[in-house]
Amino acid sequence: MPTRRTFLKRLGATGLVSLSGLPPALLARASLAAERHQRQGSGRSLVVIQLAGGNDGLNTVIPYGNDLYEKNRPGVRIGKDAVLKLNDELGLHPAMGAMKGLYDDGALAIVQGVGYPNPNRSHFRSTDIWQTASLDEERPDVGWLGRAMDEDDSEREGTLRAISLGFDRLPLTLVAHTANAPNVRDVDRYRLDLGGRDDADRTKRRRLMTELARPGSDSASDLDFVRRTSISAYDSADRLQSLVASYKPAADYPRNGLGQKLQLIAQIVAAEVGTEIFFVSLGGFDTHSQQAGAHTALLGELSSALGAFWSDLKGHDLEDRVVAMTFSEFGRRVKENGSLGTDHGAASQMFVLSAQPPAGIIGDHPSLSDLDDGDLKHHTDFRSVYQAMLDDWLGYPSQAILGGNYPRLALFS
Amino acid sequence: MTTADSVSLASLEVFQPGPKGWTLEEAAHLLRRAGFAARWQEITAAHRAGAAATIERLLAPEEPPAEFQETDELLHRVAIGTGEIQDLKAWWLHRMRYSNAALTEKMTLLWHNHFATSHAKVNSVRLMADQNALLRRHCLGDFRTLVHEISRDVAMLVWLDGNANKKRHPNENYARELMELFSLGEGNYSERDIQEAARAFSGWHVRENEFWFDRGHHDFGTKSVFGKRGNLDGDDIVDLCLEQEACPRFLATKLLDAFIGPHVGDVEVNLLAGRIRHHDFAMDKVVGELLRSELFFSPASRGAIIKSPVDFVIGTYRTLDVRPNLQKTSQLLAELGQDVFEPPTVKGWEGGRHWINTATILLRANFVADLLGGQRYGEVPAVVESVPTARRTSPKELIEHFASLLASRSLGEDSLERLNDYLVGAGAVDEQRSRKLLHLLMTSPEYQFG
Repeated sequence: MPTRRTFLKRLGATGLVSLSGLPPALLARASLAAERHQRQGSGRSLVVIQLAGGNDGLNTVIPYGNDLYEKNRPGVRIGKDAVLKLNDELGLHPAMGAMKGLYDDGALAIVQGVGYPNPNRSHFRSTDIWQTASLDEERPDVGWLGRAMDEDDSEREGTLRAISLGFDRLPLTLVAHTANAPNVRDVDRYRLDLGGRDDADRTKRRRLMTELARPGSDSASDLDFVRRTSISAYDSADRLQSLVASYKPAADYPRNGLGQKLQLIAQIVAAEVGTEIFFVSLGGFDTHSQQAGAHTALLGELSSALGAFWSDLKGHDLEDRVVAMTFSEFGRRVKENGSLGTDHGAASQMFVLSAQPPAGIIGDHPSLSDLDDGDLKHHTDFRSVYQAMLDDWLGYPSQAILGGNYPRLALFS
Repeated sequence: MTTADSVSLASLEVFQPGPKGWTLEEAAHLLRRAGFAARWQEITAAHRAGAAATIERLLAPEEPPAEFQETDELLHRVAIGTGEIQDLKAWWLHRMRYSNAALTEKMTLLWHNHFATSHAKVNSVRLMADQNALLRRHCLGDFRTLVHEISRDVAMLVWLDGNANKKRHPNENYARELMELFSLGEGNYSERDIQEAARAFSGWHVRENEFWFDRGHHDFGTKSVFGKRGNLDGDDIVDLCLEQEACPRFLATKLLDAFIGPHVGDVEVNLLAGRIRHHDFAMDKVVGELLRSELFFSPASRGAIIKSPVDFVIGTYRTLDVRPNLQKTSQLLAELGQDVFEPPTVKGWEGGRHWINTATILLRANFVADLLGGQRYGEVPAVVESVPTARRTSPKELIEHFASLLASRSLGEDSLERLNDYLVGAGAVDEQRSRKLLHLLMTSPEYQFG
């Protein structure tokens, strides 16, 4: 178990953090937080991947042997011979070769039939429901992982606890009352510029900026909120920039958006700075017309990026530390529409990537005959998945965060 | 919360300056809140003119200079010509930066946020420009007229699915937002009111980019909204909404959020709602009264609002007299979370703490660093020359000068001392030093408040 001193030494030695550039108080806080993680045997991370727009789950994990599948989807169905077969009934979309490999290796779990009661078919509303884990009409202003961070905020201030990558604004999932998650649009922009060429003067001003932002006595005030956020911003930017400079990936990442984001996540995980939560999004799943090309490209991006990510983590012996999960605001209707596409539906599947999942497919594929107004019925509430992530992976009290108990789902062995 | 209590002590009575008279800081506060901040010379001019005259000028500005008008018209023509929304954003940002009618632009932005409509769906620069003109025309006028006209505004009809609202299949989108977001607020209507109101708006369609009353799709039957029955049409619904007790209160909340801050209570809301009724929704009178009030100048109101990206960026330009690159500015505003003409949803921008996260803090800080030392957003004219000679003889005076120019909240003694130490150690008060001092002041948490 590393002590605070060895942690500081390690940071200094690896050059991950420039000791001179950071105020001692922050460094001490960061090391304490890291120590706490070590002590609890934690250091675990959750990567949440949003498939925005409503992924067509039925063409992702395909019930290829089912006549009703073929009948309802004469135009957009994936042929029996093309699917990557998981068993006698189900197969993955042909673009998902890498994920098939992860499945065969026992790293990928597929949770079937996930949804919630009275499904909402509006992108905005349903995305809010998934992000807040609340069905209330009155939308909570914090997300489910934001609430998780709020549960345990005081001791970890100053650590880079959660990061969202690639958004214009912080996704609702991570919005919290007191905890601050950095929203990194891209790494290049997530840095602190000081201007001027005189290094000694820059160091002086950098230190002054932290001193001017030192929180006061009224922690609930807006001013102290801005101060805390400022310090967290300066600190995390310094660290992120030095991490990125020193990391060597152990896999060839695809040159697509998701691949690049997952590569950055692997870098941050490798830096062991206590970041627990990552949130990224892959958009474009709203395939109302001419679905085939777009959907193939999107699933290909998801699959190749996840494949490289997992190899990279394994190459660094980090796969025990990371779980990745996907979600989408809804699946799509069973019956295709008139423009070779599919319209907004309801239940769908979630993927969970981890080093200790139970075998492959969790739960039955929803019935293609017993439908709810043309949509698949869910049998697993999405909050059961969240609950497992909180209780069994991250170690947070799910009941307080989710406001209730849901049927237990054995996601981790 | 302590600040909330102290606000309640203030009222809408006309502000009486303290024993020292109207202060420079109070003048700066007025120009920040009722506009987009100002240069030192403008603050001192307002200070000399007095509060009453300055507020009068904000409410009834002079004709803009010819040069401004020419550029304004040119940018507008370019936007309509190219059909690129980026160009329309540049046009509006130019107005916010240079217009002498700063309150007009501020109110137009307030209504843009209130009747939030996005080009992302409307997809027509012409229609967005028309709506913006409508908002500006009535921004300090009769709120009733504004709601009537926005209800047949073409961009709004496209945005909230007017054409889908037909007698056989009523679409509730507009009726719902009219009540929830434009006039009453949640809890002040029933689902039944919305369904009936939607029928009254059926057939309010768009044809060839014009409002078109489509008789064939309008429901001429009897509707019942807020207990009133009859063959109601859309204009009747607007009138009924405006007659509700909740409407002036809802509007008062909006105005208090924008001009006083987040810590006001029911007392102030009720007071202002009463004034809105008294003035029969005449916004020039209501806003004028608010700006002249004790409440507006009360210590709890000063510096209580987290600056929106527009306030932060345009305010900095105005304060330092920057000639900005408008395209780059509009990209920055989008990154900071306030992409004008493209609000995220019909609810508009949430504001307050939602503006601030670690990424936007870095973007704000980097913007300041670039402005004072780089070229990306525009050039800052010599800073030190803008400081009156008497105020640049020592670091202490320089710090005091910039503090009264910039700060809506004063930095603590501790911070001021550190800044003084930093400047004293560096020798003469020259241009370079002044810029570094500004960099520190403008990246401070206090400068994020207006």
